[in-house]
Order: sequence, then structure tokens, then C-alpha cells
Amino acid sequence: MLVDVIQHVLNGLIMGAVVALPALGLTLIFSVLGFVNFSIAAQMTVGAYAGWLVNSHFHWPLIPALTTAFAAAGLIGVIGDRLALVPMRRQSTAHTSLMVAIVSIALNLALENALRFGFGSDLYSYDLPIARDVRFGDIRVGPQQLNNLGIALIIAIALAAFFSATRWGKAMRAVADNPDLARLKGIDPRRLSSLATFIGMGLAGIGGALLAIDTSVDPSTGSRLLLIVFAASVVGGMTSLPGAVLGALLIGVFSEVSLSVVPPVYQSAMAFIAILVVLLARPNGLFSGASGVRK
Amino acid sequence: MTQLDRRAFLGAGAAIGISALPGWALAQGDGPIRIGILIPLTGATSQFGATMSQAAQLAAAEINAAGGARGRKVEVVIEDDQSNPEAAVRAARKLIDVDKVVAIGGSYASAVTSAIAPLCWESKTVLCTASGADSITKLPHQGFIFRTSPTVTLQGTRVGDFGVELGGKSMFFLGPQTPFAQSYIDIISGIFTRAGGKGAGLIYEDKKASYRSEVDQALRAKPDIIVLGGYVPDTAVVLKDLYRAGFSGKRIGFSFGVNQKLLEAVPPEVGEGAYSLVPSASLSAQAYKRLVAKMKVEALDTYSCQVYDHVNLVALALAGAPQAAVAGVTIKDQIRNVSQDTRGKVVDSAEEGLKLLAAGTRINYDGASGSLEFADNGDVKGVFFRYEQIQKAKLAVVKVA
Repeated sequence: MLVDVIQHVLNGLIMGAVVALPALGLTLIFSVLGFVNFSIAAQMTVGAYAGWLVNSHFHWPLIPALTTAFAAAGLIGVIGDRLALVPMRRQSTAHTSLMVAIVSIALNLALENALRFGFGSDLYSYDLPIARDVRFGDIRVGPQQLNNLGIALIIAIALAAFFSATRWGKAMRAVADNPDLARLKGIDPRRLSSLATFIGMGLAGIGGALLAIDTSVDPSTGSRLLLIVFAASVVGGMTSLPGAVLGALLIGVFSEVSLSVVPPVYQSAMAFIAILVVLLARPNGLFSGASGVRK
Repeated sequence: MTQLDRRAFLGAGAAIGISALPGWALAQGDGPIRIGILIPLTGATSQFGATMSQAAQLAAAEINAAGGARGRKVEVVIEDDQSNPEAAVRAARKLIDVDKVVAIGGSYASAVTSAIAPLCWESKTVLCTASGADSITKLPHQGFIFRTSPTVTLQGTRVGDFGVELGGKSMFFLGPQTPFAQSYIDIISGIFTRAGGKGAGLIYEDKKASYRSEVDQALRAKPDIIVLGGYVPDTAVVLKDLYRAGFSGKRIGFSFGVNQKLLEAVPPEVGEGAYSLVPSASLSAQAYKRLVAKMKVEALDTYSCQVYDHVNLVALALAGAPQAAVAGVTIKDQIRNVSQDTRGKVVDSAEEGLKLLAAGTRINYDGASGSLEFADNGDVKGVFFRYEQIQKAKLAVVKVA
């Protein structure tokens, strides 16, 4: 019995790790730019395709493929932002952030269908060896999945260091906190928004590539998980980076552990019940107000 | 509007109205006969969408080259159901109300067919479907549904028998929520139990990134046969997770899940050895051979063959009753007269069928997907199956029965 629970928790952590990176990206963009960028799902798919292209055609191994995914998703994220979202953001009315979020949904659909147009609906697979699980007693763990968890944690820590220790990171926090004051100090909010979008979407790209390695590459790779990514970000407190990672892991663990009591069909439902409970107890998410990009 | 005086406005309105009249008249007169084809061009069940579309257009081209049905051209109007029942209903509404189709063919996923069936029988439009769920023909469709795919009961029975034949004693079914998942679990478990073994199953969510826990649950039952009831995207993930878990038993899937597209979506070692149950025309069927040659492929999935037959059946049914109206009711009454008349001459092409019908001869159309004999409730009788296995990254036929 205990072994089963441990296995479920482990599976949940691994499942959450896949969602953690896109959730980080979403939280980052929300913190610095002030709106929810739903095109993160399409960027996950872009990253998945980019990584797949270099992996299957040039036989690049995992890390270079992930780097390509990061760069491609980041770049296309910035371009999409400039084309579609910046014009909306320039008008500052009371409802700007909601309107920009809605335009980002349209951008998401456009990108996803552009990918479908270019690559077709077929499923593709990464050319990476699939390893059998390693067993510790009765507990099964996949080496690739542990890899994903490790990559997610390393990136999260690197991001935290970036924000607290580097000039760019501190500048981003300044812009997130008070853009006018930051401008007075000579910080250009537009450059920083581009950087934040680049990093945020790049993270989503890596997340998408990791996801595709486990499942497959097709135009809906990212959009299948959009709601969970958004939920993870919300649960963590939309402006807290550690919160995003923890929110993702929490949702993963809760939905996996719930498998021991409910049939698997209701897994998503359980995840959203968890989110409901968390938000009822702490309406601003778990970590708002704690260390993060914005207080 | 200030510059436009009333007379000019009325004149313009009348002109527009008059120019629209021919369209209205044509719809009832000599315009093309429209057949709607509702297929999954995008989404989770879209693996065969492109070939289904091609097959439908090919059928229409052949019919028109032979002079059309009743001297009128046949036009296929193709719509995407996006693998989603809501989108399918909207598309069906458009086909029925705007395009005024006499029949809808294609309809692949059982969830989609269940959703659009009421629209069809209420508007007296014939529905030719490639879906398997038994519940579809149990609906009160008044004869308007013709199913060219074997039912879930039949497919489940064949898979169960095959599993027992392979020496299996313990079966576990893994599939997503569909109208037929629970039926498969019940039917196949029943067969295994009667053979002295046992069977169980679980239904999972279809958009997950990992089925680790579901696979864990399955393996706890210590199965030696796992039946895969999902479509290609989730089956790809399940196979990967089964491989990671080191499952060494046999895996049997259905042609909507284990097929050429799945082969391309998983690494070779993951898919190796998996079986697939494929509804098939008898391999010697001329219609199948000709279709495969025309589409320039080595083999064609049954669903594309069925869509080809749907178009042909509708055209032949209309041609077989030249005095009756061009409408769904005519097709409903006439299909069996052209597809299973024992006194009719056996034909395997629309061209030949149309020629004979014009000369007043009875025909019996045997299509690319089978000999097309329909029971009273619309189910097709007498279907063959190919049992295929993934061997060295290719699908090889293991037996035909």
C-alpha cells in the first residue's frame, strides 16, 4: 500500500516536471508584462517541432535539440509578441490586460494552425533511445523522466539566480514592480519585455520538446496541456517563480495519487478540484507575496 | 443610405432576388447531386482523413466520367469534423441545410456519428458510417443509417478469440472514454473467462502525456495479453509506457489505433510485435485492387475503402430508381436493391453498375471494403478481417479470416 503511494507520488512529480517549465514561462511573462500569454501552448508545440527537426534530420542529441527548442520558441514568441500583442498593449485602458490575453488566445490558434499547415496532422517521434525503467525494489522510475525532472529543477534554480544576481534579472524585477520608476533609472521596459518573452517562451519550448519526447510531436502537443499549465501557474501564485514549479508538481502529485481512489478517467477532474481547494484557501495562490519577481 | 432612393433600393433588391432564383431552382432540378463527406481531417482521429478524402473524390470522378447518376454530375462536399462531436454537428448542419446533400458519408469516430445521427434521420438524410459502436444502429434511425464497418461486438469477439488463440490466459484492456470502450472490456473479458482465463480493463483520459500509473494498474493484474482500445496519439504513449515498464506479453490493437501512422510515431523497438485487427475486403476483391492501384499505394485502410463505397452506393441507389425523387428517402429504400440483390449481376465498379442499371438490369455491387450486405438495422454482414503484426517496423499480414 505504502509502496503504491510512493510510486504515485513519484509519477506525479515526474508528470508535474513536464508542466513546470511552461508554467514558469507563463508566470515570468505575467510578472514582467502583466498579462497572461496563452500562446504559450503554441510555443510548446513550436519547441517540440524545432527539437524534432534537428533531432531526426541532423541526429542531434538531447541537449542541443533542447537548446534549439529554446531558441526557436523564444524567437517565434518574440516575433508573435511584436506583431500581435505589442500594438494591443500600447493602448492602456482599464481592460488592456484582459484584451491582450484574448488576443494571445487568437495568436495561439494561429500559430498552432500554421504548424498544422506546414507539418500536417501526422504524429512524429523523436529519434532518441527509449530506456526501460529502473527498479528500486517495487518502485519503477524512468531514467528519461528523472532527466526531465532534473532539467526542470536546474532551469528553475538558474532562473532564480538570474533574477537575484544578474543586472538584467534585477532590471526585470524593477520593470515588473514599477515600469515608470524603472524608466527613470534608464531601464528600457520594451527591451526587457522582449527579453522576458524570449525567456518565457523559450522555457515553454523546452517543456514542449521534453513532452514530445515522452509522447509524440503533433500540432496539438501544447494545447492539450494549456489548461494544466495555466492552472499550475495560478496555484503557485501567478507572480511567483518557485510557486509555478511547486504548483505544477502539486497538481501532478495530486492527480496521480487520486488514482488510488478514483478511476483514471477522472484524473483531470481531481486536478481541478485540487486547484479549487487551494484557491479557496489562498485566493492569491500559494506563494504570492513570497519571493518572486513581483511582490 | 441617404443617397439611395427607395426606387433604386427596391430595384436592386429585386435584381438580387431574381439572380438568386436559378440557384434555388437548380437545387431541385438539374444541378449536381451533392453527397456530404464528413471526415476527420484534423485532430486525434485524423490518421486516415487525407486518404478518405482522396477516395471520396476518386469515386465521384469515376461516376462522373461514366456519365454521372441519372445524367447528373455527382459532387462530394467534404467537411472536417476535427475529431470532435461539436464541430461535427456544426458541419453536418451546414451540409444538410446549406449544401442540401442527399446523404452524408465518411463519419469515422463513433462519438461523432452518435452526435450527427439524429440530425440525419430527422432531415431524412441517409448516413453512411464507418463507425463501430453497436449503440449507433440501436438508435431509432428509421432505416437511414448504413454502417459499412464491423460492429464493436464483432470486432471484440474476433480480438478475444485471437487472444485466446495466441495462448493468452489473462487479458487487460486499456482504452480512452469512447462509446465502445466498456463494450470491448465486457465482450473480451467474457471470452477469456469462458476459455478458463480472466479479463479486466480500465478507461483512461485521452489527452495525457503519460500513462505510467494506468500501465502500473494494468500490470498489477499480471496480464499476458493487453488489448489497446485507443486512437493513434494515446496508443503511441501507452506503447511507450508499456515498453518502459518492461511488459513482455502480447499487445493487440484495432486498426484505428495500431496502423501505419502509429508505426511512424513510435520507435521500432516500442511497436515491435504488436498485433492489429483490420477489417478488410476479401483480398481478391477487384474493387479493392483497382482502388489501391488508382491511389498508387501498396495497401489501403478499410475506412478509405468504405468512404469510396459510400459514394458509389449512394450514386447507384439513385440511378437504380430513376423515377423516384433525388432524396434521402429514395436512397434509403434503394441501397439494398443495388448492393445485395441475389438476382442481380455482381459488379464491382460504379461505371459498370451505372451502365447496367441504365439498361434496366439488376445489379449487386461488391465494393472495395466488402460485399456490402446490410442487415435490417443497417449493420454490414459478412466482414473479413486481416490480422496484422508489426514486424521489423513494417505491418505484416499474419492471417486473413
